[in-house]
Amino acid sequence: MTAIAGIGIDAGSTTCKAVAVDPSGAVVATALEQALPRIADQTAAMLDGLRSAHDVAPGARCVATGYGRRLVECADRRVTEITCHARGVFDDLGRAGTLVDIGGQDSKVIRIGPDGRPADFVMNDKCAAGTGRFLEYTAGRLGLDVADLGGRVAAPGSEEQITSTCTVFAESEIISLLARGAEVDAILKGLHRSLTVRLVAMVRTVGWEPPLMMSGGVARNAGVRAMIGEALDTEVIVPEHPQLTGAHGAALLALEG
Amino acid sequence: MTVTHRPSRSEAIARAEARGQRIAAVLPYHYPRALLRAHGFHPVEVWGPPGVPRDEGGRHFQAYTCDIVVRATSFLLRGGLERAGVLLVPHTCDALQGMGSVAGDFLQPSQHVLTLYLPRAGRPTDREYLVAELRRLSDRLAGIAGGRPTDAGWADALAAEEAADETLAALYRDREALAVGDREFYEVVRSREYLAAEEFVEAAAAVPRGTAPSGIGLLLSGIVPEPMSLFDHLAEAGARVVADDLAAGARRLYPPSDAADPIERLADRLLGSPPDPTRGTPIAARAAALAGRMAAAGAKGMLIYDVAFCEPELFDVPLLRRHLGDAGYPVAHVEVELGGELGHRVITRIEAFVETLA
Repeated sequence: MTAIAGIGIDAGSTTCKAVAVDPSGAVVATALEQALPRIADQTAAMLDGLRSAHDVAPGARCVATGYGRRLVECADRRVTEITCHARGVFDDLGRAGTLVDIGGQDSKVIRIGPDGRPADFVMNDKCAAGTGRFLEYTAGRLGLDVADLGGRVAAPGSEEQITSTCTVFAESEIISLLARGAEVDAILKGLHRSLTVRLVAMVRTVGWEPPLMMSGGVARNAGVRAMIGEALDTEVIVPEHPQLTGAHGAALLALEG
Repeated sequence: MTVTHRPSRSEAIARAEARGQRIAAVLPYHYPRALLRAHGFHPVEVWGPPGVPRDEGGRHFQAYTCDIVVRATSFLLRGGLERAGVLLVPHTCDALQGMGSVAGDFLQPSQHVLTLYLPRAGRPTDREYLVAELRRLSDRLAGIAGGRPTDAGWADALAAEEAADETLAALYRDREALAVGDREFYEVVRSREYLAAEEFVEAAAAVPRGTAPSGIGLLLSGIVPEPMSLFDHLAEAGARVVADDLAAGARRLYPPSDAADPIERLADRLLGSPPDPTRGTPIAARAAALAGRMAAAGAKGMLIYDVAFCEPELFDVPLLRRHLGDAGYPVAHVEVELGGELGHRVITRIEAFVETLA
């Protein structure tokens, strides 16, 4: 069994992720759980789980990232999710470019340099608009599972206009549209358009360079991918496990000391 | 290493009163200190204050008015400025001009509300205008104080304030030879906001000499570094402020003047301060000056740290970012409110920016 040489923990607002890599950077193990309020306990338990199931090389290090990174007590180093996502996607896809990372409570657009490090970035961190929480909240209002949204939005059909990017006001618009008899899928399309308009503005702000990549849980949403790609007239590339990109990048940074 | 004891804001006010001076509460940020001193007033600056709630002040302004104006108005309404005989509101921006009008026309506090309309350029006609404006302010102060300064009074005020200004400039010049971190450095710099000129000179002299801490060099731009724990977060991220473009800092490094007339001398000095978004400096010229300052200080990028809704600052940000980016200097911009400690998202943004520079 290959020994773990580096561990990355991404303590996000919605999910907590861990990735362990061997000395070559190859992934040995992964874990993904819903985030719990006691981040220190949860991440300690995740680490224990990895260590008990795998050999751990002497001197193996741990890098913590995500909004709860300061609470990961066993971390040797703490690095922001911007740097970790850039490093992770650079390793996954092997190229510089622009990364859109839509997290649970914020979103970032990161321009990645040829060395895999962030060259520039912008963050939306002032409100829930443009984040995964926006979709979660509005999906809940429509009685839908957030995992089903992408498929429904990607399917052909009409689209309602949601004029507000504010999560709370968008909910009011949903209620009005439902009362007028609008189709749920048409409302969903409008909600996704509202989210992507905001994200595309961020992409343009950072002065993006192709290819355009996505990470974070929302990257699995085919509707968001399609709308962003359409708005920027480009293909959107997504790693195999976009939710683990940050933890993977953290694990690779752990290898570097 | 930490700096020895400095008088607190309230101690400085008590000392000024014991000297027979009256207190002038002054809003940010360009104003003629020596003129106030010559008329018997001790200036104490009001940058918010950060801990005061917005509610009372907020009733008088739009929701998007900055924290400095709204919290200062709350502070005024709560009696926080009761020891001041004068409230001086420079026309730094439209929000402060609005505060001057609201305070003078509607709130009508016990303090005399004085305004100072600053020109937006440095042409001869602007100098002429500013000289007239300072004479008008001098007349108002003389009316309140019950007399005009003597020649000796003017000479004493100019000498003391110019010595303190030179001390401030020397602190910046000698930054690399001061054995203090950013937080301690800016605590001393900002003590100029409330200390008497002589007390400030003494405080600056107490800063230990040696070698400045190491770190990734940043130029810090913006209005005011509140909360001061900003510097702790920067240090933790491995960064160090090697130069600044702060309204509460290096934007007030006023050059000397050889004008014989005290008012003209003050006008020259105010107009000669570094490029500044509140004074109408062309953005390209400001960017060039900032790039030069970064090159000289070894800064690798610029962090713009603004109070939310600060219009003069925000107007410059996109072009400033572009000009400095073209010059090879990355720029990050964060906006904060003055209500408490920094949120983790702002900290993340700052840390990520430092990581890009490492």
